[in-house]
Amino acid sequence: MLRVGIVGVGTMGRTHASAYTKLPNVQLVGFTDAIADAAQRVASQFGVQAFDSYETLLEQVDMVDICTPTPTHLELVLRAASAGKHILCEKPLGRTLPQCEQMIEAANKAGVTLMPAQVLRFFPEFKQARDLVLAGAVGTPAAIRTRRGGPYPRAANDWYADFEQSGGPILDMVIHDFDWLRWTFGEVERVFAKALTFKGLDHIDYALITLRLKSGAIAHVEANWADPGGFKVDFEIAGDAGMIAFDSRLATPLTVAKQDAGGGGGGVAVPESPLAEDPYMLEIKHFVDSVQAGQPPSITAEDGMKAVEIALAAIESVRTGKVIRLGGGA
Amino acid sequence: MAVRIGMMSFAHMHAYSYIQCVKQLEAEGKAQLVGVADDDPQRGQQVAQQYGTRFYDSYKALLDAGIDAVIVCPENIKHRPLTEMAAKAGKHVLCEKPLATTKADGRAMIEVCRANGVQLMTAFPCRFSPSYIRLKQMVESGELGEVLAIRGTNRGRNPGGWFIVPELSGGGAVIDHTVHVTDLCRDLLKSEVVEVYAEIGNGFCHGDFDDTGMLTLTFANEVFATLDSSWSRPKVFPTWGDVTLQVVGTKGLVYMDMFAQNSTLYDDRNMRITLEHWGSSIDYGLVSAFVESVATGKPVPITGEDGLAAAEVAFAAYESAKRGEPVRLPLPE
Repeated sequence: MLRVGIVGVGTMGRTHASAYTKLPNVQLVGFTDAIADAAQRVASQFGVQAFDSYETLLEQVDMVDICTPTPTHLELVLRAASAGKHILCEKPLGRTLPQCEQMIEAANKAGVTLMPAQVLRFFPEFKQARDLVLAGAVGTPAAIRTRRGGPYPRAANDWYADFEQSGGPILDMVIHDFDWLRWTFGEVERVFAKALTFKGLDHIDYALITLRLKSGAIAHVEANWADPGGFKVDFEIAGDAGMIAFDSRLATPLTVAKQDAGGGGGGVAVPESPLAEDPYMLEIKHFVDSVQAGQPPSITAEDGMKAVEIALAAIESVRTGKVIRLGGGA
Repeated sequence: MAVRIGMMSFAHMHAYSYIQCVKQLEAEGKAQLVGVADDDPQRGQQVAQQYGTRFYDSYKALLDAGIDAVIVCPENIKHRPLTEMAAKAGKHVLCEKPLATTKADGRAMIEVCRANGVQLMTAFPCRFSPSYIRLKQMVESGELGEVLAIRGTNRGRNPGGWFIVPELSGGGAVIDHTVHVTDLCRDLLKSEVVEVYAEIGNGFCHGDFDDTGMLTLTFANEVFATLDSSWSRPKVFPTWGDVTLQVVGTKGLVYMDMFAQNSTLYDDRNMRITLEHWGSSIDYGLVSAFVESVATGKPVPITGEDGLAAAEVAFAAYESAKRGEPVRLPLPE
């Protein structure tokens, strides 16, 4: 039985908690959070313990699941590693590359598993697209487009709006797409990006990022925190022998509209896309299985760092107006 | 009085749509289709027969046939000589896009028309799309707030023929598909492009021409935009391509898919699924506006300068891809 503690009781902490409670061979021991009341409230919802310090939580668990704002990851990972605990860490792995390097080094030294929660790899539409690409379904990919986003995210202390913490939509959100692009199409050669991030706007951010991949393919990534019309995701992979296209607006087997949605008048239609296997559950199951089998997980901490590297290059391009060439490569 | 029109070359397939628009305007008493001329006499004769008009065996003969204006649709590289010929004969010109394949050619076309007192209009039919007109109203009324960013696409398929012979076309997908969306952005923002970055490739056809273009434009008013000009639509794609524009403003976001007014045809006999467009003809709006300007003498709504400014973005895109860095506009004369 693997005992797990969750740090951070925001949306992701609670989402992960539900997954643990459904898995065999895992025991959700409890939560800790910078806001003690919040930890208490969520812990009682799940019928588990709230810890008033990270230290006491670490004493009771075999692994931690870190679901806190990005800049806190470093210290939480280092302490977990030195306590010999395995770590599932929310994306982005770190706020900076040196932070990522420190985490990787600490986990290696302690011999614990550190997996960045790049959950997109468990989303069936993204997994399937990769499988199709690798099977040659579109021939050689030439142009790839992804889009992700919706309204500006709101969270505790409005931390997404603090660029120093979140890195804006480029680091916080489309890091998903960067990781998936690398995983599916290989390493990135150079990045050029434009964004609203540094324009001092009130809760509007938006970025358009062009990547040249080492394969020669060109990718375009949209990061949208400026669309009040709801969260949307799409992608298109065009190759020399075909194309794969996905649009979350079209992949909605259920659409419900209620006569009385409150506030008078009719309600808007709300689409749903239910799955038998929730991607977050698949991600956590993979991590737990890997730890229990003593195997490295399919997403390495280096993958997490590489995704951060691409995002930071895009941000650097926005800041400087220059093309940023990625160093090293895998 | 009906505007008397001659068609110069059918090398560009849009000419077939424009001639139909002229026929429609003829039926409305606004225009008269006088005849066609073409370097390819067989093609010219065929068109003349198909549309019930006269074939002239030289451009000069057509220009001497008592016409007021011409629609010029040869290979891109020939826009300049045909426009010069028409302007010197005192004929107003509607020229297919891209206006020119070099800045010098575009400048010369503008000058020759000015010197001869004729109007030069660039064929940017997307300006006449009812969806675009509505979008522009939203921007101009301020209901989207201040425009911050634009994401555009104008994707299609490799048209083949002279389009993929750079000596005739001036390039590939980038020269072909950069100008429409660039023109819409300039028209919406009332601001000029000051910087272009482009990633360009040939990963679809692997030819000696570009078929993939991902451009980033920065405007003088600091709005940024990206434009995908790739010939990336597969052979089995249910329609020719697209023109899309997503405009992000401080008060909202609007997304336009200009050619989304379709029904889907599932065709067993041809084993094809196609989108059958039922939206308004934008080419009619274009030709009709040109005819109206010629008839009344009022300025054409889309000038040669507009055409050159959009083409210059394509030239800058090629330069950017060559240099591997953003390129400032205007380019040197």
